[in-house]
Amino acid sequence: MVFSSISFLYYFLPIVLAAYFLVPFQYKNMVLLFSSLFFYFYGEPVYSILMILSCTSGCLHGIWIEQAKGRRYAKLPLISSIVFSIGPLIFFKYADFLIVNTNWVFNSNIPLLRIALPIGVSFYTFQIMSYTIDVYRGVVDVQRKLSNFTMYVSFFPQLIAGPIVRYTTIEKEIQNRNHSFENFAYGVRRFVCGLAKKVLLANTLGELISLLQNTQEKSILSYWVIAIAFPLQVYFDFSGYSDMAIGLGRMFGFHYPENFNYPFISRSITEFWRRWHISLGTWFRDYVYIPMGGNRVSASKCIVNIIVVWFLTGFWHGAEWNFVLWGLYFALFLVLEKLILKSLLDKMPGIFARMITLFFILISFVLFNADGVGESLVSFKGMFGLLNLPYSNPHTLYYLKSYSVILAISVTAATPLFSMLLERLKGFKRSERVISLMEPLVQVLLLLMITAYLVDDSFNPFIYFRF
Amino acid sequence: MNPLIRSKIISFCFAAILGGFLLTNLVLPDNDFSYSERRKLMQAPSLTLEKLAKGTLFQEFDKYVLDQFVLRDTFRSIKAIGSYYVLQQMDNNEIYIVDNHISKMVFPMNEKAILSAAKKINEVKNLYLVGKKISYSVIPDKNYFLAEQNGYLSLDYTGMMEILQENITDVKYIDLFDFLSIEDYYYTDIHWRQEELLDAAEKLMLGMGRDLSISIDQYEAKEFYPFRGSLLGQSALPVEPDTMKYLTNSVIEDSIVYDYEIKDNSKVYLPEKFEGVDPYDVFLSGAKSLLKITNENADNDRELILFRDSFGSSIAPLFLLEYSSIILVDLRYMATSILDDYIDFSKEQDVLFLYNTQLLNSGYLLK
Repeated sequence: MVFSSISFLYYFLPIVLAAYFLVPFQYKNMVLLFSSLFFYFYGEPVYSILMILSCTSGCLHGIWIEQAKGRRYAKLPLISSIVFSIGPLIFFKYADFLIVNTNWVFNSNIPLLRIALPIGVSFYTFQIMSYTIDVYRGVVDVQRKLSNFTMYVSFFPQLIAGPIVRYTTIEKEIQNRNHSFENFAYGVRRFVCGLAKKVLLANTLGELISLLQNTQEKSILSYWVIAIAFPLQVYFDFSGYSDMAIGLGRMFGFHYPENFNYPFISRSITEFWRRWHISLGTWFRDYVYIPMGGNRVSASKCIVNIIVVWFLTGFWHGAEWNFVLWGLYFALFLVLEKLILKSLLDKMPGIFARMITLFFILISFVLFNADGVGESLVSFKGMFGLLNLPYSNPHTLYYLKSYSVILAISVTAATPLFSMLLERLKGFKRSERVISLMEPLVQVLLLLMITAYLVDDSFNPFIYFRF
Repeated sequence: MNPLIRSKIISFCFAAILGGFLLTNLVLPDNDFSYSERRKLMQAPSLTLEKLAKGTLFQEFDKYVLDQFVLRDTFRSIKAIGSYYVLQQMDNNEIYIVDNHISKMVFPMNEKAILSAAKKINEVKNLYLVGKKISYSVIPDKNYFLAEQNGYLSLDYTGMMEILQENITDVKYIDLFDFLSIEDYYYTDIHWRQEELLDAAEKLMLGMGRDLSISIDQYEAKEFYPFRGSLLGQSALPVEPDTMKYLTNSVIEDSIVYDYEIKDNSKVYLPEKFEGVDPYDVFLSGAKSLLKITNENADNDRELILFRDSFGSSIAPLFLLEYSSIILVDLRYMATSILDDYIDFSKEQDVLFLYNTQLLNSGYLLK
C-alpha cells in the first residue's frame, strides 16, 4: 500500500487512527503492530512472512547478544545477526546481479532466479542491523518483547521507504509517548506537505520525464530537461515520503529523525550528503565508516574507507553497475573535496560553489536514472550533442512550456525560500495572524486538491520503493 | 490565533475529511457506469484465497475505491482545473480547449499505421472491387484546425496524405481538407456536425461522378440538447454542452436499415439513443460492423458501398437522395476476408473509403 493512494488515505488511515485513539494505552502498540502487518501484507502478501521472520530473528539475536556479553563468544551472536539480516537482502536483491556477473566473468550459464524484490527490505534490514549492533555496543537495552520489536521494525509510516529509524530514537516512545493536539496537528501538516510534494510535484515531474523519455522525438534540450527534472522528482518523491512518514509517526506520538534538509542548496558534495537521505548517510557513517577507522587513520586508509562506504551506498540503491558507479562518483568528489576542493569551494562566492555542486549532482542523477551503464552513456551523449540530435524540436518545446510553471514551483520549493519567507512574514504581527488563520484552510484545500489528483488516477510511482 | 486552538482546528478538519469520505464511501451505493468517462466502473472485488495470496485482491480493491470514490467527477474536474488553469499546463491528459472547442492531441504521426491502412484499402480493392468506381477521402480531425495554430503538437497532415496518395493505387482521392472548417465540428465531441455537411456530401458525390445537389430546405432539422460529447467527459473541464441536430425528410424516414449482426431492421435515426452512453449513436445506432440502408422511395437502383468509421454514420443519410441502397462497412469490426459472404460485389456499385485522420493514425485498426 502506498501513502499516495485512495485506499490508504480514505480507508486504511482513518480506520487505524480511529482504532488507535479509541483503545486504552496498553493496546495502542497492538493496534499499530497489526495495522502495520496488514499494511505490508496489502502490498506484499507472500513476503510478509519474510519480514516477520526477519523481525523474529532480529529480536532473538538481540537477546542472544545480551546474554553473550562478556563471554568468549560474545561476537558470535553479532556476526550471526548480521548474516541473518544481510543474507535475505543479498539473496533477494543481489542474487541475479551476482549470477549475471559470474556468467560474464567465467563465461558460464547459470540461470537467473528472477525473484521479485520484497518491498522495503533494504530499509527494514538496516533497522534490524542497527538494533543488534547497538545492543552489542551497549547503546540500547535489549527489547525482549517480540511484539514491541516487530512494531518498531514494521511500523507502517517508515517500513517501506524510511527514514531508517534507529531503535535508540524511539526506544522510550515505544513504552511511553505523549499524544496531544499539537503533535497531531504537526503530524497532519507534515503529512499533507509530504503528500503534496509527492502527488502534485513529484508525480507531475515524473509525467514530464516520461513524456520526454518515451518518445522518438528526442533532442539535446529534452535530455537536459530530463536531467534537471529527474533529481527534482526524486527529491520530492523521497523527501515527500519522509515528510509523510515523520508526520504519520508524530500523529501516533513518535518523533522520527529528519531525512532531508534542502540538499540542492549545498555548497559541496560533502554538504549535499549531509542534507540528502540523512538517515542512510549517518547509518553508513556509524556502522561502517567509523568502525573502519573513519578519518582517524592515515590519509590513504581514509580514502579507502570513503571508497568502501560509497561503493556500499551505491550498491544499496540497486543491484546494477550504474548504482555502484554512482556511489563511486560521489566517493571521488568526497575524496577530492577532502584533499583540495573543499577549501577552494569555501573561498568561492556561494552562488558559484552552489552552481558547481548542483551541476555535478545533476550529472550523478543521470547515472542514477538509467537502466544500466549503457543507457546512462546514451543519456550523456544526448546531453552533450553526440547523438546527432537537433538542439530542440516542437515536442520538447511544447512540454517544456506546458510544465514550465511546475518546474518553476519545483525549483523554488527545493530551496528554503518559501519557509524563509513564511518565517519572515510571521515576524509581523498582522501577517502572523493572517497566516495563522489561513493555515487550516490551506491544509484542507491542499488535501482536497491531492485527492482530486489521486482520483484522476494520475501517474503515481514511488521511486524509492525499488530500493 | 491561539496555537492550541489552531492545532485543534487542523486536527478536527483532517479527521473530518478522512472520516467523512470513509463513511460516505461506505454508505453510498456503487455506480455501475461512468457516463462522463463512458466506461464501466470497477465493482467490489470478490474475496478468494488465491487472489489474497497473489495480492491481486488488493490491486482490484485499489481500482475499485478509485472508481467508486464519492464525487469522482467533481474531483476529476478539480484536478483538470488545477492542472489546466492553475498550473497553466497546455493540456490535461492531452486534452485542450481553444475557443470552447475541446480537442485531444494526436501526435506523433504513426507512419506504419497509415501505411497499413493504405495497404488495407488496396487489399479490399484487389479482392472485391476490380472494375468499380472507387474513391477515398480523409476527414481531418479537429486538431488540423486547432493544434499547430495554437501551439499544440500536431500531426504532419501533409506527410500523412503523401503516404496515402503514394500507396493507395488506382483509387480516386477526393480532398475534404480545404472544404471543412472547425465550425463543422461539435465543440465537445470529435465528430462533425451533420447539419454542416451538405457541401461536403455534394463534394464527395461530385468526386464520385454523381451530380448531387442538396440544400437545407430539403430537410427538417431535429435538435437535442444538451449533447455532452465524448471529449467533454474526458476533459472534465467546465465547457458548455453542444446542441445535436439531425436532418431528416421522408426519404430518410422511410428508409430501412438492416443490421447484419443482429439480423434485424431499424431506422436511420434512433432518437432514443440520445439518452444512451454515446449520444452520437443517434446516427445509424453507432458502432456497427455491417449495415444496409434501403431507400424505399428511390427512383434508381444505384448502390454505394461505404467503408467508413463513426464519421460515416452522420454523412451516409445525406447520400440517400442519390442511391437506392447504401452498404456501410466498418472494417474495425469485420474482417476483409469475409466481406463477400455478406456483400454481393457482382453488381454495379460506387465505392467510397471514408476515414478520419485520427483512426488512420491510431494503429492497425482495420481488419
